[in-house]
Amino acid sequence: MCKSFQRPAVDRLDLTVRRGEFYALLGPNGAGKTTTLRIVSGLLRPDSGSVLIWGIDALADPVAAKRITAWVSDEPMIYDKLSPMEYLAFVAGLWEVEPALAEKSANELLDLLELRPVAHERCDGFSKGMRQKVALAGALVHDPKLIILDEPLTGLDARAARLVKDALLARVRRGCTVIMTTHILEVAERMAERIGVISRGRLIAEGSLDELRHRTGGTAGDRSLEDVFLALVAEQDAAQMPTGAPAGAPVA
Amino acid sequence: MTAAASLLWLARHEGSLAWRDMHYLMTAGGRWRLRSVALIFLAIMAFLHLVAYSIVAPHAQARVESGPTVLVAVTGSLGLSFFLMLSQALEQVTRLFYSRGDLDLFKSSPLPLDRLFGLRVAAIAVSTTAMALIVAAPVLNVLMFLGGPRWALGFGVAAAGGLAATGLSLVLAAILFDTMGPRRTRLAAQIASAIVGSAFIIGIQAVAILSIGTLSPQAFFQSEIVIAHAPAAESWLWLPTRAVLGDGMALLATFAIGLLLLAVPMQILAKRLGDYALAAAGVAQGDRRPRRASWVFRRAGASRLLRRKEWVLLLRDPWLASQTLMQMLYLIPSGLLLWRCYGDSQGASVVLAPVLTMAAGQLGGGLGWLAVSGEDAPDLIASAPLSPGLHLRSKVEAVQLAIFAVFAPFLLALAGLDWKSALIVAAGIGIAALSSTLVQIWFRSQASRRHFRRRQTSSRIATFAEAFASVAWAATAAIASSGSWLLAIGPAVIALLILYGAWAMRPRS
Repeated sequence: MCKSFQRPAVDRLDLTVRRGEFYALLGPNGAGKTTTLRIVSGLLRPDSGSVLIWGIDALADPVAAKRITAWVSDEPMIYDKLSPMEYLAFVAGLWEVEPALAEKSANELLDLLELRPVAHERCDGFSKGMRQKVALAGALVHDPKLIILDEPLTGLDARAARLVKDALLARVRRGCTVIMTTHILEVAERMAERIGVISRGRLIAEGSLDELRHRTGGTAGDRSLEDVFLALVAEQDAAQMPTGAPAGAPVA
Repeated sequence: MTAAASLLWLARHEGSLAWRDMHYLMTAGGRWRLRSVALIFLAIMAFLHLVAYSIVAPHAQARVESGPTVLVAVTGSLGLSFFLMLSQALEQVTRLFYSRGDLDLFKSSPLPLDRLFGLRVAAIAVSTTAMALIVAAPVLNVLMFLGGPRWALGFGVAAAGGLAATGLSLVLAAILFDTMGPRRTRLAAQIASAIVGSAFIIGIQAVAILSIGTLSPQAFFQSEIVIAHAPAAESWLWLPTRAVLGDGMALLATFAIGLLLLAVPMQILAKRLGDYALAAAGVAQGDRRPRRASWVFRRAGASRLLRRKEWVLLLRDPWLASQTLMQMLYLIPSGLLLWRCYGDSQGASVVLAPVLTMAAGQLGGGLGWLAVSGEDAPDLIASAPLSPGLHLRSKVEAVQLAIFAVFAPFLLALAGLDWKSALIVAAGIGIAALSSTLVQIWFRSQASRRHFRRRQTSSRIATFAEAFASVAWAATAAIASSGSWLLAIGPAVIALLILYGAWAMRPRS
């Protein structure tokens, strides 16, 4: 798929994520990660291309695709004047979840994410971490098959981050697919089964961590994902330099 | 004291920020060139001079000796202007303590806070005075042209009014802080500001309706009852009026009083202003007290859920609710008129139809902005499995139903008089509210609900389209209520053309 704003943000990107897989999408700032995920979530329409979610053509039938998808952004957008419990009831209603099932699921999520003590307080003045946990609970309350997360761990303390990671891994074990972008490469290294690296809107490398290590000339276990990622991006930058320009020279 | 903390340096910094803020307000973020804005400003001022000419030209030769009628009429106009200034200043003074902006930076710096707040209060006095001078200019210029330079003293009275209004609003804000605490002061000041701004005109209109059966304040000021009860011509109560009419000594006294009303509170309260800001910053945002969930898990259509969400969010935000609903205060005189005219259905509906239609248009614009542009979780709504357009339809329904709930008592009362008139007014209310909501949908731009007061700066076209369409629909409703259906087509077509123009100029993204 392709998507341009003033310049191409996603450039002939072809990405396949398997069912029940934890997939990490990495890339430098402005690489097109968020645009890609917003297109898959139905928040943006691509200029060209197609999106298939569990066999559903997301552009032709967006409602059916959204019914099994959840989106969590780095900036948690929740309603300050609703309590977490009310927010979950609202989200469950939008996704038309059976009320009894939704209530059970909401209670489990509030316990899992340690939101029970504030379940009936309005979200006004919640910390960033608490808001992110409420947003994540909202994403999980309708039991989606695909969870798309854009930098979900930004601003979370260690305990909150652990809770979120555990909740996501539990979903993957139940067969759910997770696609996540993150700048915390240790998280991708530990959680993701496959990693995709994009730069300037294009997929420049994809595979398990070991496969990526091999690609950059290393062997299993000898290089961190950070080393691999930086090597891949530098390789891509060098490949796009105008002929004759020294490494590090500005492109334009 | 370091050079950086000197008063002059700070004043220059504040002045620079104020200029940029004003530039943004005038040019909607720089999209309009300042020259275009200046030309529009001049055109508006020229128009206002024409309006002023048509109103005050016959009174250019008025003097103190002309008698109590002149004194009462001028004092009434001054009173109305002063209460509006007081309302504006109170709102600005309170905002001073609650706006976070750069306050955290100043609070963490070694700069004494009383110096900063003293300067900012002085800036409010300057802006309130400048606004008073701009508003008074068309009237005073016309009077000077026709009646001589003595009317120039009116500018001094306007300036004195600005100073006094700022000083009094500072005292009022301090009283609110001390009596209600920082948690409630913001909302209380918001309500007080709206009431102060509208109380004078509403009060005069109410008394005019009850005593002489008219909505016109001027007719009231010139009525025999008021003239008979007016103080003697020598009373100090006439000082500002005498100054406006050309009495230099009265102007000196008026200006001295205005200056004292600002300087004394500033001197007394200077040390406490920083404490108020710190107290305001220490208040947790919003009300987080645990409470029984009013929103339970139950089966409901998406449309119903979205409508309910809009209403709950508005009702749980007293500040926003007061911002949007305070303009309904201006409906009180209409209600009184309706009550007084019971039995004269034609007369009541002709007066009420434009007032209610206009109010519905304004309320529709405000609520429409909150529902459309002020959506707190746009990604959630966009990623939900809703059929295309459903969420916008639901928001329009939420706004329309809320407006009908506000206006229902008026419509029911009017229906008791004449159901045909009630139907016309109901149609006017519905169409005006729908027009304003549509304009908000066409010009939607994602923003925080906290920026509600600045919504008009996001698009001048939307602001003008909303206002002029409401005026045109109000005229349509008034003419239709009088039974002239054919004549009503004219303003209706104008309203539709305005809406078409707005639709054609909507941003395409």
